[in-house]
Formats: sequence, C-alpha cells, structure tokens
Amino acid sequence: MVVFALFIISKAGGLIYNREFHTGMNKLSSNDLLMLAGSFHGMHAITKQLCPAPPTPTNPASTAAALAPSPFSNRPSGLEVLESSHFRMQCFQTLTGTKFLLFTEPQQPNIDSMMRKIYELYSDFVMKNPFYTVEMPIRCEKFDRGLDGFVKVRG
Amino acid sequence: MVLYSFYIFDRHTECIYSRRWTPRPVSSSSKTARPQSGSSITSNGDATTVARKRTDDEKLIFGLVFSLRNMIQKLGGEDDTFLSYRTGEYKLHYYETPTRMKFVMLTDTKQNNLRPYLHQIWANLYVEFVVKNPLAPVEHPGGIGVANEMFERGLDAFITAVLPA
Repeated sequence: MVVFALFIISKAGGLIYNREFHTGMNKLSSNDLLMLAGSFHGMHAITKQLCPAPPTPTNPASTAAALAPSPFSNRPSGLEVLESSHFRMQCFQTLTGTKFLLFTEPQQPNIDSMMRKIYELYSDFVMKNPFYTVEMPIRCEKFDRGLDGFVKVRG
Repeated sequence: MVLYSFYIFDRHTECIYSRRWTPRPVSSSSKTARPQSGSSITSNGDATTVARKRTDDEKLIFGLVFSLRNMIQKLGGEDDTFLSYRTGEYKLHYYETPTRMKFVMLTDTKQNNLRPYLHQIWANLYVEFVVKNPLAPVEHPGGIGVANEMFERGLDAFITAVLPA
C-alpha cells in the first residue's frame, strides 16, 4: 500500500502542513502547493453549493434536534473523495473547518480509519502542544514522528 | 440508482447540452441568508430566477471540473486524468474527449465510475446524431443542433437501458 502525501488546510484556506511519504506524485514548489491549497478550498465550497438534493435530516422528529438546532446538522458535505487515474484523494473536514487531504494509490482500502488515526495524532500532538498557534504552519516534531511511525508501520 | 443531471461542454467553455431529472432545491439556507444584489430590480417572477440558477450551475460545474482537472494534472503529471469525485450527497463523473469536449454526469453516491458510459454517449450518440448530422453546424454556440430529436431519444433509451432506476 502506498500513501503519497498528506496536506492540512486551515479553515481560511491556507496550507499549514504538507508532507510527502512516498514519491509518485509531481514535485511542486511550496508556492504552487499554497496556490493549490487555496484553490482547493474554493472548489470544496463550490461542491457544497452544487448539491442536487438537499441532505435529509437524520432525525427530524427527535425533540433534542428541535430544541437545539445544531449548525452542523444536515448541511451538505463538500468533496470527500477525488479519483484520478494515478491517485485517489480523500478529504476529511473537521467540524471547525480544517481539511485533511490524504493522497493514496487508487485502490487503497481503509482510508477512513487511517484518516481517523491521523486526526487523532493531530489532536494529540498539534492541538495539545502549548507552543502551537492555531491557523499557523504546523511544526511539531512529535506529530511528524507519529505520522512517520504510523505510515511506515502500515506500509 | 438516482440520476440527477447530465451536461456537455464544448471546447469554448460553453454548455451546449444540459438535462436534469430532478428539480433544483428551492433555496438552501446559505442562499436565503445572503442578500442578492439587484434582486429587487430584476424580480420578474420565478421563471427567470430558476433559469438563471440553471445557467449558474452550468458555469459552476464547468469552472469546477476545469480547476480540478488542472489540479490533478499538476499533482499527478500530464498523463493523469480526472475521473470523478464524490461528496456526502452526490457523485460527479467526468469524461473528456480528445477534442476537449467535456461530459459530466451527476448521480447518487453509490454509483461506480460511469466513465465508460459517458464515452459511449459520446461515441454512439453524440458523434452519430450530432456530428454526423449534415444540418448541424460545426460548432454549437448556445447549444444549436445538439438537442435534436434523435439525440434526445437515443439518450433516453441509453439511460433506461444501462442505468435502470
């Protein structure tokens, strides 16, 4: 199994983390990557707008939902999986708007569980790091090492 | 299986054919919250707003697939091709001919890749009934000559045959 790269895009559309695990995708300059991250942020918003059928509320009759309407319920989700002939990109958006993009081989099973694990590492080593400022580029050695260990073990 | 819509774009970025099987939702919450510029002046009834939304969607889809295709070619190399994307609610399938015509289909999320079907629509319906039609112009500004009876009927038959409801 091959995991090509991981990008993290902040809720404002800036690239705050990029990491290549395996060669196979084009090498791009950091400027290009920043541009791609920004335009992907916009495309993600458009994919939400294009939703042809509004998502049905999961539990319309439940009293809890009626009493406290959550801003996160039945909102169309944006792009989740992008497929091309060379790779497959899984996009996971957290409730706060941070996007995780994971580039893998086209036939890659269990990306969801990998994504969960990466989100866990992010919460543990980035969000709990007292020296990390939110929305800023991520420079946390433990996160790097955790990702390395995780991807290498699986690979 | 649910089929939402189908679009053909020519190489001049214009939508020359579009077909919908579901009405567009009246308005999402984000749209009502946003004030629409000039809506008080140009409110000529529902028909015009619906029509404008339709062309808006076409432009959005074209811009989106164009950008996604460029992004994929940047990341994966020149010979990489964009196949499809999926959100929580729908899936968009994409096929581009060597002449840069773009075929786009929106379906529900459980559908496998429809690229071979889009290729067949191009080869067996578009080429047969539009390109080989002596009365149709070479280019199709505004969609002239595409939505002829043979093409429409062929598309209907094809879709009911290969994509049973």
